[in-house]
This record gives sequence, C-alpha cells and structure tokens, in this order.
Amino acid sequence: MTGARPMTRLFASLLLALTAIFHAKGRAALTVLGILIGIAAVVIVSALGTGVQQRVKSQIESLGSNVIFVFPQSNQRSGARGARGGGGRLTENDGRAIVREATSVSTVVPFLQAQAQVVALEKNVMTNVVASTRRYLEVRGFSVASGANFTEADERLKAKVCLLGATTKENLFGDADAVGQIVRIGRYPFRVLGVLARKGQLPSGEDQDDRIVMPAPTFRSRIVPTAPGRVHTLLVSASDPLTVGRASAQIDAILRQRHHIAPEDEPDFGIHTQAEFLKTQEQIFGTLRALLLGIALVALGVGGIGVMNIMLVSVTERTREIGIRMAIGARERDVRMQFLVEAVTLCLFAGILGTLVAFGAIVALARMLGWSMLLLPQALLLALGVSVGTGIVFGFWPAHRASRLDPIEALRHE
Amino acid sequence: MDPPLIELDRVEKDYHAGSIVVRALLDVTLHVGRGELVAIVGASGSGKSTMMNILGCLDRPTRGRYRLDRVEVGNRSGDGRAIVRNRLIGFVFQGYNLLPRASALENVELPLVYRGIGRRERRERARAALAQVGLGHRAHPTPNQLSGGQQQRVAIARALVTSPSLLLADEPTGNLDTRTSYEVLALLQQLNRDGGITILLVTHEPSIAACASRIVTMRDGRILSDAKNQALDAAELLADLGGVNDLPDSA
Repeated sequence: MTGARPMTRLFASLLLALTAIFHAKGRAALTVLGILIGIAAVVIVSALGTGVQQRVKSQIESLGSNVIFVFPQSNQRSGARGARGGGGRLTENDGRAIVREATSVSTVVPFLQAQAQVVALEKNVMTNVVASTRRYLEVRGFSVASGANFTEADERLKAKVCLLGATTKENLFGDADAVGQIVRIGRYPFRVLGVLARKGQLPSGEDQDDRIVMPAPTFRSRIVPTAPGRVHTLLVSASDPLTVGRASAQIDAILRQRHHIAPEDEPDFGIHTQAEFLKTQEQIFGTLRALLLGIALVALGVGGIGVMNIMLVSVTERTREIGIRMAIGARERDVRMQFLVEAVTLCLFAGILGTLVAFGAIVALARMLGWSMLLLPQALLLALGVSVGTGIVFGFWPAHRASRLDPIEALRHE
Repeated sequence: MDPPLIELDRVEKDYHAGSIVVRALLDVTLHVGRGELVAIVGASGSGKSTMMNILGCLDRPTRGRYRLDRVEVGNRSGDGRAIVRNRLIGFVFQGYNLLPRASALENVELPLVYRGIGRRERRERARAALAQVGLGHRAHPTPNQLSGGQQQRVAIARALVTSPSLLLADEPTGNLDTRTSYEVLALLQQLNRDGGITILLVTHEPSIAACASRIVTMRDGRILSDAKNQALDAAELLADLGGVNDLPDSA
C-alpha cells in the first residue's frame, strides 16, 4: 500500500493536468507553439548530424577515398585565385611524371570537361561531357552496366565514341537500349559504346550520372579545341586510402620541380583530396547545425517563458481550487506536483507534436534536397527529455508559488 | 475518563496590519467532548471565523495550546497541519467549495487521493459516503447540475469520507433557503446522533444554533457565554414546514 502511494498521487496529478489542459485547449495550443518549434529544431539538428555522418561514410565509399584532384591554379597575386583552370597549365606529361616518380600513387588519368548539347533522335539535352582515358572508370569507381568501355585504340584514333551516364541515357533514350545508337554532340555524331551503372549524387548535389564520357584526344579535337596533352585536372589514385597524405606531398614535390617553383613560393597548381572535400562539407553542415541549435534554444526559451506565464495565469485562476485542496489535506508538495505535472504534460504534448513536425520536415528535406537524414530512436528520447526538462525548469516557479499560498486567503479568493 | 476531543487552552491570535496589531482572539479556552454538537455564534468580527480557522488547523494560534484528539496540533508546520486536516478534520463551507469540473463522486474521493489510497478503495468509500448523505443515486453529475442543498450534501460526504474525528461546518446553511437549511441540519444531527461524530457549527442565525445541544457565543474575540441547549430536532421543524424528508432512514 505504501509503495503504491507515490504512483497513485502521480497518476491523479496526471489526470488533473489533462483535464485542466483540455479545459483551456486554445490557450494551451498557442502556448506550446514555441516549445513545438524548439523541439522540432532539436530533432532536425540531431537527424542532420546523424545524416551527415552516414553521408560522409557513403561518399567515401562512392568516390573512393584515395582519389586526389590536381588542377592548375593561378599564382599571380593579381589573378583570380582558386578558380580552377585559370593561370597555370597541367599536362598529361605531368601525370606521367607523377606515376613514374611518386611511390604512393598507383594511377593517374587526365580529366577535361565541358557542357554540351547532346541530341538523340528528337531528344535534346544539355549535359556534362567528360574526357579521360579508359581507366577513368576505375579511378572514379564507375562500372559499365551494359555495352563496353572504349579501348586504347579508340583513344589513339580519336574515335567518335562515348559512354552514357545512367541519367543522360534515361533523358535521351528512356527505357530503350542505347548501346550502338548514335548521339550528336556539337557537330559530330558519336556512337554509344556503353551505359554506366548508377552512382548517385555528389556532396555538392551534382548528379554523377548526368554525364557523357569520351576519350580525351577525341574531346580535344571534336568538342573543345585544346592543345594536345593539356588537361583540366589530373585525377590521381593513391595506392591506398591511408597513403593519400603522402601521395599529395609527393605530387607537390614533383610538380614544383617540373614547373620550377621554389618550395617557399605559391604553386601554380592545387591539390585536393577527398578528405578536404568532406571537411568542407562538414563545416557547412556544422554551421547549419549551430544555426538550428540556436533557433532551438531561442524557441525553447521563448516557449518556456510562455509556459511559465500560462501556468502563473492558471495558478491565479485556480487559487480557490488550490485553497479547497489544501483545506482537505493537500500538502505543499502535492500542490507543487500538480502544477509541475501540468507544465510538463503541456511541454510533452508540444514535444510530441514538434517531433511529428520534424519528421515531416526531414522527409521533405530528404525528398527536395536529397539530404540523407536519419531519425534515430535516441533523437526521440532526446526530444522527450528536452520537453520534460523545459516543463520542469519553467513550471517550477509557478508551481512553487501555488504551493506557498495561504489556504485561508486562497479559500476567500473569488 | 477520556480527555476531550478539542482542548483549546488560553488561545490568542494577533494579526498584523501594517504597524497596527489586531487582537482577534483573547484568552479563549474551550473544551469539546466526543460526540457533541456545538454551535458557535457571534456577529461578524467577533472572532468566530478566526477560532474556526485555528480549530480547522488552517491557521496557528499566536499564543496558547491546541490539542485535537490528544495530539498537539497548534504549533505544527504547514505540511504537518495539512496531514491533520486530511486525517482528523472534515470541512463544510458556506459556499460548498466543490471542484466545478469534477463529478460529485470525484469531489468526494479527493481527500482520499491526498491520503494516497488506491482508486478502487476510493471509489467504494466515496460511494458509501454519498449514500450516507442520501445521494447514492447522484454520483455522476458535476456540481452545477445539482441544487444547492445537494451540493452541500456532496460537501458533507466529502468531509465524512475520511471518517474524521471532527466535522467543522462554517455557515453551512448560509446559501440555502429555510427548508433546505433544515434538511442539511437534519442530516448533520443524524450524523451526530447515529454516527457519533463531533460537529462544530459556526452560524450567526439563532434558529440554526437552536438545533445544537451547546451554544458558544463569541464577542470581541472572547467567549461571552457557553451554555447547554435543549436542541430542536431539525427533522421535526422540516415536517412542520410540510417538507418531504428524503433523507435516508436512520438505522
């Protein structure tokens, strides 16, 4: 019997709270709006955090964590720094030197790209034309879904052949088979040798499957007239994900030597590793998270003050009721518990609604922006915990005031 | 011999209104035995409400001693007095003081909630108490669906449900017409006579006080007189009015 007492009292308090809230629905709904927004933000933040981690992991797998991007970069102080392809030059000979001399590098492929109009039958799309060697697929982790890759002979003969990314193929041919078909790029007809397997989006949101791949010599003579051997980027594959750092250092040394740049001078090329891309990504998401967390805290604070206000109103309105309860034997802690449970219940309602709103937002964001976000059970526990915490923090003072009322005064209250 | 249920010895109460001290009770000594039905009468400002608050453990005396049921209760803290109110005292007020949103049954259950009694036992005891005041069939309406007399009977049931040693009725007929007043009085007399419960009845109406077997008159914070009274039977007065007695049969 003694053991059942606290539960009996708590259950009774909960029922009371529900009744009281039900009798002031409109007021309660307006009050909890702030809490609702705050909790929604908390849930989205935690889902975003989890989503980013998952995303980073899957992208390392998708891109290959051992890929290093080397691109020319202006080193003139007056020039526009950081713009890829501006200023310096990079050639296939640089690439050959890297493969020959850098011990931690396994493969180097050239990379050129341009936007181009592609026409097949009556379909006409703008897409990304990428040029490299046949080993490009292996470096970037693409595979041929149907048909075949181009060959060394195709490269040497500047053959007008190409591979279609999954999205491009769909845009041009729909469900029909594309292998062996002819597409027109610019002024020239190209034969489709193969279609690539789908790979998904890049961290930047770019669709990796919206592209056409062709041999670099073909690109230089048919798409964008370019000096032989010139590349936009060199894609370097480190021999192992763990040696990416060492490979970068080796590339830097080799290219400085070939381009006659002293170690203390600014190079005319840039080196980007996958880790750096991911770091940038994380920074962006980190900022977003901090922002949302800020919103969450402000909303919870404002909402909490709203709850405190409404509880003070509730205590004043129900002064006589408090007096009656005290007269028939409610102790201070009983009254305090009653109003505290009411505040917590109010916040818990808001928390549950906020979680639902967050769930909707997460699904919408995932659809619209392709952000992968994960809602873990821990996030739900966090939301409920924060709701209860807000209720206790902001409900305590009104509840304490109620418990300190003088029963005689309270009974006289109209 | 058993000590009296109420032992109020040389009790005084001061109120501070700014720099002025209002002496609301002066040297009040009152002993009430078990099973008595005592009326406390006096004009407003005579100190009867103050004495009622102290007797009901809603307030503490400034000086003097108050023992209830052999227990020293006058000097207890807030929570200590709350427990005494819950265990030893039942209150009936002029304005009924029922919770408007709760049903009659839930109102009657309330003191048992604060005693930590489980739901099923609460229900049983509340139903029994409602039956005792003749409202066994009116358990579910909320107070505003009941007449004044019925509401006051619900309040009496709420006071009885804990089986208190003392029932304090503060102007219990103040809001009721004559017939309903006698009904409520008849109920209190019946509870006193058959249940042996001690009742203190605060009133300013001589016709109500006439139904008590002892009348204590207050004036200016002191007890002016304390005398036995040949109590009138409220049920007979009710019958004289030609009223219908719908109280439960005394058994």
